[in-house]
Amino acid sequence: MQKNNSRHPGPRAAFVAAFVALFGMLFAGVLHAQETGLEIRNASTRLDAGVWYLSARIDYRLNRDTLDALQNGIPLTFELQVELAKVRNWLPDEDVASLRQYYELSWQPLSRGYLVRNKNSGDQRAHSTLFAALNDLGRITDLPLIDAALIDENTDYVVSLRAVLDQQQLPGLLRMLAFWDDDFTLESEWYRWNLRTGQPP
Amino acid sequence: MGVAALVMLGRYASSPADFGRRHVLILAVNVTAAAALLALMIVNLFHLVRAYRRRAPGARLRARLVGMFVGLTLAPLLVVYFFALQFVNGGIDSWFDSDLEQELSSALRLSRESLDVQATSHLLQTTALAAALGNLDGDALSRALSVLRADAGAEELTVFNPDLRVASSSSGTETLPPSLSEDALKNLGHNQRFVALEPQGNARYQIRTAVVMPGDVPEAGQRYLQAVFPIGDRQGRLADAVQDTYTRYAELRFLRGPLKDNLTVTLSLVLLLSLLSAATGAFYLARRLAAPIESLAAGTEAVAKGDFDTRLPPGAADEVGLLIESFNGMIERLGRAREESRSSQQQLERERANLATILGRLSTGVIAIGADSRIRIANDAAGAILGVDLAARAGAALEEIAELGPLPGQFVDACRPHIAGELREWRGQIVLRTDGARRILNCATSSLPGDGSGAADPGAGDFHAGAIIVFDDVTELLVAQREAAWGEVARRLAHEIKNPLTPIRLAAERIRRRYLPTMAEEDGQILDRSTHTIVQQVEAMRDMVNAFSEYARAPAVTVARVDLSQLVREVAWLYRAQEGQPLVKLALEDGLEIEADAVRVRQLLHNLIRNAQEALEGQSEGVIDIAARSIVDGERTFAEISVRDNGPGIDPEVLARLFEPYVTSKNKGTGLGLAIVKKLVEEHGGTVAAENLPNHGASLVVRLPVRAVIRDAVNESRMTLAENWRERA
Repeated sequence: MQKNNSRHPGPRAAFVAAFVALFGMLFAGVLHAQETGLEIRNASTRLDAGVWYLSARIDYRLNRDTLDALQNGIPLTFELQVELAKVRNWLPDEDVASLRQYYELSWQPLSRGYLVRNKNSGDQRAHSTLFAALNDLGRITDLPLIDAALIDENTDYVVSLRAVLDQQQLPGLLRMLAFWDDDFTLESEWYRWNLRTGQPP
Repeated sequence: MGVAALVMLGRYASSPADFGRRHVLILAVNVTAAAALLALMIVNLFHLVRAYRRRAPGARLRARLVGMFVGLTLAPLLVVYFFALQFVNGGIDSWFDSDLEQELSSALRLSRESLDVQATSHLLQTTALAAALGNLDGDALSRALSVLRADAGAEELTVFNPDLRVASSSSGTETLPPSLSEDALKNLGHNQRFVALEPQGNARYQIRTAVVMPGDVPEAGQRYLQAVFPIGDRQGRLADAVQDTYTRYAELRFLRGPLKDNLTVTLSLVLLLSLLSAATGAFYLARRLAAPIESLAAGTEAVAKGDFDTRLPPGAADEVGLLIESFNGMIERLGRAREESRSSQQQLERERANLATILGRLSTGVIAIGADSRIRIANDAAGAILGVDLAARAGAALEEIAELGPLPGQFVDACRPHIAGELREWRGQIVLRTDGARRILNCATSSLPGDGSGAADPGAGDFHAGAIIVFDDVTELLVAQREAAWGEVARRLAHEIKNPLTPIRLAAERIRRRYLPTMAEEDGQILDRSTHTIVQQVEAMRDMVNAFSEYARAPAVTVARVDLSQLVREVAWLYRAQEGQPLVKLALEDGLEIEADAVRVRQLLHNLIRNAQEALEGQSEGVIDIAARSIVDGERTFAEISVRDNGPGIDPEVLARLFEPYVTSKNKGTGLGLAIVKKLVEEHGGTVAAENLPNHGASLVVRLPVRAVIRDAVNESRMTLAENWRERA
């Protein structure tokens, strides 16, 4: 007589399986959220010849929808928002300066490459790969922030930096879609650091 | 708001860019409009359902109109909606023709290959330039670069040192210091060459090439030559146009789905707004159309409730307005008619009240009988005469009245032939008998004229609306007349008979005195007996005449307070028990005083006791019970004297006329004793009644009012009856 050792999964096993599946889905969601989106890796300011310059490294990770839109000829405009606020005790910080930089990333079917264009200055650079284009887009080097003469000496300031996908620059229909679809909402967290002005030379 | 939303939808739906820019506003306006219309429709629907359940006037009509309007709107809208969806989706899909896409791809590929040929050519040219430059350095390199750049037609030629610093550069324009891009470096490290087509903006392109320079300067490492070649303006514009068209086509293709969704949403919103607008409009129209009808219904209801002051507001100059005008006119006429009717009714009520007052004050009985033989009106006197409260039995059939007692029964039996007969007028006398008494009624019936409505019995052959019976109790009048006649007879008899009696007696006595002594004894005895008989009879006749005189005479009444118990005791003492006489028993209430004529009361008592004695004559162990007490009847107090005997009782045939003169069942007496009793009692405003006792014997009961009501009963009775007859006439 042959003994049947096979066992049916009990309720406990089913519960464990369901828990694992749920955890897996949540974890996958978190991973997905981490894989796409905008993130400011680092940012800093330096004073050079009476001008404060800003440098930053930003990761641009496009999701599938934005990538589809890009590769179907829709240019993506990213806005770099920079805020400079004076720190005050017992009072809200005082906004001193605000800077907006717009960068357009577009697909060039003729060259089969990508073009990054600074919409403020008109400078543009062509890249053969998306990786190179995003890398170029995320590298901010010595962006003039403010003239040192315009801010107080020996004062603490806070610089805030954020990168967002400018939905207003999307085509109308896509903008309506973006209103309902979070996939077209790409924005980084505010990245803040202190800026301490020194004594005049 | 709904119309504005529809206009916005229509305006911006044709321009996707505008729609995308303002879609939030458009959506907000449309959703707000839809929500407002929906709320309006729900409120309207709620009110309509409530009115429908309440069965409010016009609610059903409104519901029907709303359903009809919405149904009429919904069907074509749905048809248009589905056809439009089909058309839009099919139209958009038709835009993206595969042939067009293929042609665009081909055009792009052609442009690209054309540029690739140039790029390859420039790459080879760059490689050749790199070989030509060889190991040149310093000023030689600079001069060579300038020359070669001009020869090659390049815009820029740059030699980079291994550390990527510019060794030397020649440029046709003033630009920023050249640099090697990451792409270029990566490709140079991998393929030893780099070529790329770079857009410059404004439909300008350039080809950037870079190669590793073959050098014989090992210590210096590898150097790089980068060249930039411009593309002709015409070729650049053509290529840019192709790329732009392809990009826009790709964009449209990518946005095809959102465009379909957008149009579907737009159409759905249009449908929703149209439906809601239609529904709201349907409610409004239904309300507007039903309002005059509701107003008419409300007015009709108000009129049905008796409100004739309702006036409907004038409607439009159409059929409904005409109807409202007619309604108002009708209500006005109805109001006037009602006022007239009310006035007539009030007049009738007043007349009826007057008639009721007159009937109520009549001592004559009046009964009005309807065609259905039921009593319509009966006054109090009719009920009093018949002993039944007829006024409270209005509506009762004559048969029901007949069962209420012997008097109403005989009355109905006597009257019915004259009511149902063909005679319109009848007058006559009805004699009713009850408990040995007779009631004589003078009665007249008269048929009431009918209106020919057929209410009467068709078998009667003549229409009449009933009959009226007028009757009067003339029993007392007849008795009074009889008594008056007897009084007159008595007075004349007394006068005519009494006068010759004295000469007869004197003559008889003279004959006796003169001839008796002279006559023989035997003759004398005869004369003596004869004259004695004459004198005796004359005396008897005188007594009789005196009795007549006493009956006819009506001396003045002297009223004083009389102790009735004491008076009864005194009179009864005269009849105290003697041998062979009945025993008199007294049961008297002490202190029973009345206001009366003591002489008449004494005579009354004498007559009563004598009547009882005569009834017991010849009977051993006769007993006369005399009682006197006070009783209260209504608001009046009476002294009641009852005289009972245990004799044979009163002959029932005599009982009804016991108190009339010369009515007696005894061998003795004038027959005037009880007639005088009745006369005396009536003079005092009292009553007398006689009845046989259950076992044997009779009872006479006299009631005299404690407070004097002295009157000439006979004369008063005569006058009252005479007045009644005059009223009836």
